[in-house]
Amino acid sequence: MAAVEVSPREFTFVFYDAAVIEEIAARLLEDIGLDRHVRIEIDETTPLGRVQVISLEPLVVSVQGGAFEDTRRPRQLGADRVSDSLGRVLMRARDRLDPAFGDPPPDDELSLAQSVAWDAYGVGRLAGLGYPAQRQRRLYHFRNRHGFTDAADRVFDRLWNGDGLTWADIEAACAETEESRTPVG
Amino acid sequence: MRKIHPPDELARDGRFARITTEQRFGDPRGGGTAGRVGTRLTPERPEAPDAARALMHGIFVGEIQALEGAGRTCWDFETGEGADQAPFALKLDMARQCWDEARHCEISVKLSEHMGTEIGEFSESTFLYEAACNPDPVLRLTGVNRALEGLAIDVFNTMREFGDRSGDPVLYFCEDWMLADEVTHVKMGSDWLRKLTANDLERRERALEFQRVVDKLFSFGGLRGEDEESPIRLARRFRELAGFTTEEIDEISGISAEAAREETQRRAAASA
Repeated sequence: MAAVEVSPREFTFVFYDAAVIEEIAARLLEDIGLDRHVRIEIDETTPLGRVQVISLEPLVVSVQGGAFEDTRRPRQLGADRVSDSLGRVLMRARDRLDPAFGDPPPDDELSLAQSVAWDAYGVGRLAGLGYPAQRQRRLYHFRNRHGFTDAADRVFDRLWNGDGLTWADIEAACAETEESRTPVG
Repeated sequence: MRKIHPPDELARDGRFARITTEQRFGDPRGGGTAGRVGTRLTPERPEAPDAARALMHGIFVGEIQALEGAGRTCWDFETGEGADQAPFALKLDMARQCWDEARHCEISVKLSEHMGTEIGEFSESTFLYEAACNPDPVLRLTGVNRALEGLAIDVFNTMREFGDRSGDPVLYFCEDWMLADEVTHVKMGSDWLRKLTANDLERRERALEFQRVVDKLFSFGGLRGEDEESPIRLARRFRELAGFTTEEIDEISGISAEAAREETQRRAAASA
């Protein structure tokens, strides 16, 4: 059984409950099929929302506090936001730990286009598992990085509904949208 | 029907979540700025699409309140030329503004759908409408049309640039059209301020002081400014078109810079 450790245990800037975060994270690990101990380090002093896996072995996730915040209630924990923010990076961690997925570059070497394409694939699978996924929001992210074109939308659909894809498929998706944005002649 | 409708009684359906101005500015993570100073809205930022979504929702609820405020100005004052009255032509301008704001609400809803945002996904604070509750019609127009609609010019211009740089033709087009309307609304405020206070300079000074207070409060601790990294850039050219003099724009820039300095000091003190 995967174990989850949240730091800090007590929050002073926000009204978060470490036990609730642990419960959501444990369920995600089980649903995603990631049998790992995970440590979640939260910077509660910022309302910004960046989430990153900073180590795979051991699995450590760094979270800017705003990523877990209920957008309707400032400083309160939003359960859907926790599953959305954590699920996205845990799905990516699962891909990295799967030899069949291939060998993607480290996160800080990914282009925004690659990162968002991978997210479309990851969050699409979370949606398939029954998690609230905000498909149109992810499409908007995708269009911002791959173009507001029909070709980009088709590629997004393929990634969102995909299963068993590899890093090569993600790269091919990026190349396809890039080609569609290149002016002819 | 009562005059001066209180902000906490504005009608909203169950999708909307209201927060108070105290909640907004009392956030220990950065007050009204919520820690976003120096985070320019640019496509190069990984979180930019979500930042744009949140800003768009803020615009949407601002449009609702601008509609409510302009509508109240048509109703709250007797028609006339007295100090506590509003001329018919001013009410006609406010009625036209209602028409614009209603259209902006519709555009904002469509834009939010385009960006993947649900109505009520983000909280609403009623600061715009609160400024529209001033019992003096001149102060009301100065606080709303010049200060807050002026802020709207800066916000729309920022979003328009974001749409342009991210290659989003829908966002660019919509923001461009709404920006044009906002310039007209601010110009109305500038024109009525000068006209109604032409023979009452003391009242004009009170109105301008009210504008300064609103401008400072809603510089969001430096969120708006002329710095390259400002999340909301002061749109000088469009403000000129809206009737602001260069000196007035310089003053708003100074107010924003002062708010930024105070926010920096506040954060330094908090972390000491």
